[in-house]
Amino acid sequence: MDENSQSSASIPAKPQPKITPWAGPLWQGCAEGKLRLPYCNQCEACFYYPRLWCPQCFNQGLSWQDVSGKGKVYSFSVIHQSPLPSYQEDLPYVLAVIELTEGPRMMTNIINCEVDAVSVDMPVEVTFEARGDMKIPQFQPTI
Amino acid sequence: MSNPVAIAAVSEMKPGRYPDKSGFDLYLDVVRQFLAEWSVKPSDIQGLLACPSGMAEGGSNDIFVHEQLYEELGIHPLFADTMNAGGSTYGLMVQRAALAIKQGVADSVLCLGAGKFPKVGTGGAELMARMVSHEIYEFPYGTFIPAIYAQVASRHMFEYGTTPEQFAEVAVSSREWALKNPDAVMYDSEPLTVATVRGSRPIATPFHLFDCSIPVEGGAAVLVTSELVAKRFSNQPAYLLGMGEYHSHRNIHQAPSLTNVGCRYAGQQAYQRTGLTPSDIDFAEIYDAFSVNPLVFMEDLGLCEKGKGGEFFESGASRPGGDFPVNTYGGLLSYGHTGDASGMSMIVEGARQIMGLAGERQLNKADVGIVHSYGGMMSEHSTLILGRQA
Repeated sequence: MDENSQSSASIPAKPQPKITPWAGPLWQGCAEGKLRLPYCNQCEACFYYPRLWCPQCFNQGLSWQDVSGKGKVYSFSVIHQSPLPSYQEDLPYVLAVIELTEGPRMMTNIINCEVDAVSVDMPVEVTFEARGDMKIPQFQPTI
Repeated sequence: MSNPVAIAAVSEMKPGRYPDKSGFDLYLDVVRQFLAEWSVKPSDIQGLLACPSGMAEGGSNDIFVHEQLYEELGIHPLFADTMNAGGSTYGLMVQRAALAIKQGVADSVLCLGAGKFPKVGTGGAELMARMVSHEIYEFPYGTFIPAIYAQVASRHMFEYGTTPEQFAEVAVSSREWALKNPDAVMYDSEPLTVATVRGSRPIATPFHLFDCSIPVEGGAAVLVTSELVAKRFSNQPAYLLGMGEYHSHRNIHQAPSLTNVGCRYAGQQAYQRTGLTPSDIDFAEIYDAFSVNPLVFMEDLGLCEKGKGGEFFESGASRPGGDFPVNTYGGLLSYGHTGDASGMSMIVEGARQIMGLAGERQLNKADVGIVHSYGGMMSEHSTLILGRQA
């Protein structure tokens, strides 16, 4: 992936997520190459995406935990037509929901493989993709 | 239910492209047609519910549309609001209206919808992707509405062995009904085949173009009333026998399940409140932005066994002459998806079948029908059970 490349000026940059104040450690983790999720000390479980309280019990005493970054494809679709100018070069690309070993599900692309190789239940692992001056979690087939 | 509530009158403008009309212009057309068709007097409308029609304009310049509408009508309602729950807006409007009527707040509530559909090719699809996916945790991955629904289809294929051809059967069935409905945008078209659907342009696997509904514009009016008022409008009103709603998530990756969706819980409530069971239902009108939806919802509403939705549509039972008709007006897939107003079409048709007003496509047996709609990315669900006997 070469989103940071300035060579193709006509292609707009892919969306860069806005960092909310309570999600800082997630993005800091990405920058360090680690998938870091909010953790409820009461439920003793991670959740995604970062919120101000635990969506299971409303506890606001939260911490952060580095998770395995491993999981499975819960579902996916190969997109042949996208309205996003910044994704035109990637067509066809995979939009997927993955389920982490620790439980939470995340939306992602499945990258670094042929789109036809993707299937439901396929093992995947996290990788990180640059978006501007930050990195976002992405998933690829487990090597 | 005690204090019976019914749909007393329905009216829907012919869906199509109305490029010179704003959402509010469409609202005025809907109201004018409704007043003319049903000889409505000002005192017949004690409450009014409407939905913003501004999606195509990229915003909600219509967020107070109920005020504009009751002022145009020249009435002073006892109960009024603008509400929005996507495709389930109108199912939930009927439910809100019924609660108000049962509570004695009003004897009649006019539910109104008008919709313009964003043009997919002119930034409309991106606008809608931003509207329906999480700005931070979904949109940056290149979301697109068909690809979000495709997650539901792919998971169903994995869990139950459903095939893309079985999804295509849903579109084939809807087209057969549309060929019987002069108001359907595909009325003058050819029948569809599974091969035609699968041979159309790929959008997002497993969906091809004809697995997706047809964007048009339109709108409708549904008058919900007490039994007493309903009898003034019709000898056979569509009684609201049961209703249920359920809200499970906003963003698809947060859905508790992609194969047991909120429809199941909305449906269970509707059945429980009526004492009816799925075997009492004669037909179904089910929101179908994509071919996958009726297939999953038939299962979740208990109208076929879990995992057997594909076989049900393959059997032809849903088509004209079949044992269990589904989307008898052509569905959003072939009647047309009127954007902000799309959730009206299946309610109007359900009521028409019960009231005996469905013309050439009138079912022989339409004593009890179920109308299911959902909003967002399968986020919120409304189930209505309509019948001929209170």
